Amino acid sequence: MEFVSPEGLRLDGRRPMEMRQIRGEIGAVAKADGSAFFEMGNTKVIAAVYGPREVENRSQQISDQALVRCEYTMANFSTGDRMRKPKGDRRSTEISLVIRQTMEACILTHLMPRSQIDIFVQVLQADGGTRSACINAATLALADAGIPMRDLVTSCSAGYLNSTPLLDLNYVEDSAGGPDVTVGILPKLDKVTLLQMDAKLPMDIFENVMQLAIEGCKAIANYIREVLLENTKQLEYRRGP
Amino acid sequence: MTSHSQPSVLWQRRSTRRYNPFLGFFSDYHLGLFVGLSLFYSLEVVLGNKTLKKMVSANVSGDLSSEMEVDAFRRLFPLRYHERFLLDSIRPDARPLGRARDTSLALGAVASADGSALAKIGCTTMLAAVKMEVMTPPKESPDEGSIAIEFYMPPICSPLVRPGRPAEEAPVVSKQLSDTILSSGMINLKELSLVSGKAAWMAYLDIYCLDADGSLFDAALLAAVAAFSHLRIPVVSLNEEGRVVVVSEENEEGKSEKEPVNKGKRKLTLSSLPFSLTCILHKNYILADPTAEEESIMETLVTVVLDSSGQLVSLYKPGGPVLAYASAVQDCIALTRQRVKELKSILNEAISDMEVD
Repeated sequence: MEFVSPEGLRLDGRRPMEMRQIRGEIGAVAKADGSAFFEMGNTKVIAAVYGPREVENRSQQISDQALVRCEYTMANFSTGDRMRKPKGDRRSTEISLVIRQTMEACILTHLMPRSQIDIFVQVLQADGGTRSACINAATLALADAGIPMRDLVTSCSAGYLNSTPLLDLNYVEDSAGGPDVTVGILPKLDKVTLLQMDAKLPMDIFENVMQLAIEGCKAIANYIREVLLENTKQLEYRRGP
Repeated sequence: MTSHSQPSVLWQRRSTRRYNPFLGFFSDYHLGLFVGLSLFYSLEVVLGNKTLKKMVSANVSGDLSSEMEVDAFRRLFPLRYHERFLLDSIRPDARPLGRARDTSLALGAVASADGSALAKIGCTTMLAAVKMEVMTPPKESPDEGSIAIEFYMPPICSPLVRPGRPAEEAPVVSKQLSDTILSSGMINLKELSLVSGKAAWMAYLDIYCLDADGSLFDAALLAAVAAFSHLRIPVVSLNEEGRVVVVSEENEEGKSEKEPVNKGKRKLTLSSLPFSLTCILHKNYILADPTAEEESIMETLVTVVLDSSGQLVSLYKPGGPVLAYASAVQDCIALTRQRVKELKSILNEAISDMEVD
């Protein structure tokens, strides 16, 4: 199947190196300590952060660090066919683990010992790249909650179809069977915290695809910084003189 | 102290409690007790009308410490705090007792579902979506479809919901919703039938609470009604084996042999839409549309569901410390009648906004 037309346009009219339209908003859930809504094209995700708060299971308490927990759930109506088991299935558990470990790497957990930070991510609409959208939303929510972090974590995916590296795959391109590289980076420190790939890819092409994904992450990081700056200006304005 | 935003009462975001690593588990309680007792005695004197008006006005400028005292009093003695406002027939967010919070409705929030709606009452947010699947109807009712309604409270909605501890209200609201929608006769199940005895629609309605701030049932019912109003039934046709398949809209030119079975009927005719209002009874006050804080301290809830023609669909008073005379229930019904008019106009506005697009 043609994923990249001869003129160089993808199925949804994008160029190979073009990302979908992103939108991020802070403060989606009033009751949460920090929350954010993040959209990458048709993938829509809400993240809420509760914490630092009391550890609910005393046996899991860590005496010199904060405990980070994450839960990833998809709404029943988020995918094309209605999902039967949106929570306990293997994919959700795996993605919960991935998001937890990614965010744990950048939160300064030693500043909040004996406490717990809960990150809950809910996918409202899924169209490929849910993992990346969740990590971006979680970053915004953690920043909204005022939890100290080393740096923002942004994530983006890239693939390789019809001999072209493609940035930010949607569901159709993702299920085409080609390689899918998901990268999560700390943009200022320029370090990679998450790297996942499936399917086979020659090493030199892998370098290109990964570099493309990293560029995508940096673009998202710039956008997230703008959103946070705008939010801080709003808070300062509302606070008054 | 951190430079966090000053939470004025009208514009209430969420309080950021700074975590102090030097205090362990028990000090919070003892500190709270000490602060509380000293505040109680000092504030009881100070809390006259002037402070009350200050609390309600939007510009609570001035020192941070007096704000913190009010906040601490609110946390430690919530009942006295609210009663102080009730004496003046007003509530902490400056609403009169019978008024509901600002309500807004957006249809078509989820593009991948056949019908969807996002409803917000104050901060309470509900996202409802309907997905249709074809199934074989049971033998007892061969020309009726069916509806399955589920209500979820994921952990994002409230700090009290944890992954291991699901919310108590979720199954209760789920059952209430199911009973109300099916018994109100809003949907004629015969309209969901495709081929009598062989194929019928199963409509799965999933409602997710994205933010729980009181009046969960009201917001959920509004979202459900709006999602059904927005519903567009997918076009289906019979394929060669006699099974019903959904016709995808892109390939319509090529499939001239397969006649769509239900091309004309794409929307449900909804008669008598149900709308509801939850009220709290406390001593002789009736508070309409409570927030989560009010619900947790004054526990007697009364939910009245009326349909658009003014008939009573359901009445729900699940116990509670306050025993109500019939007159109190009549007052609740009167408040609900007013609310139904507001909700009807909001729903019609949302539908006409969709149709313009």
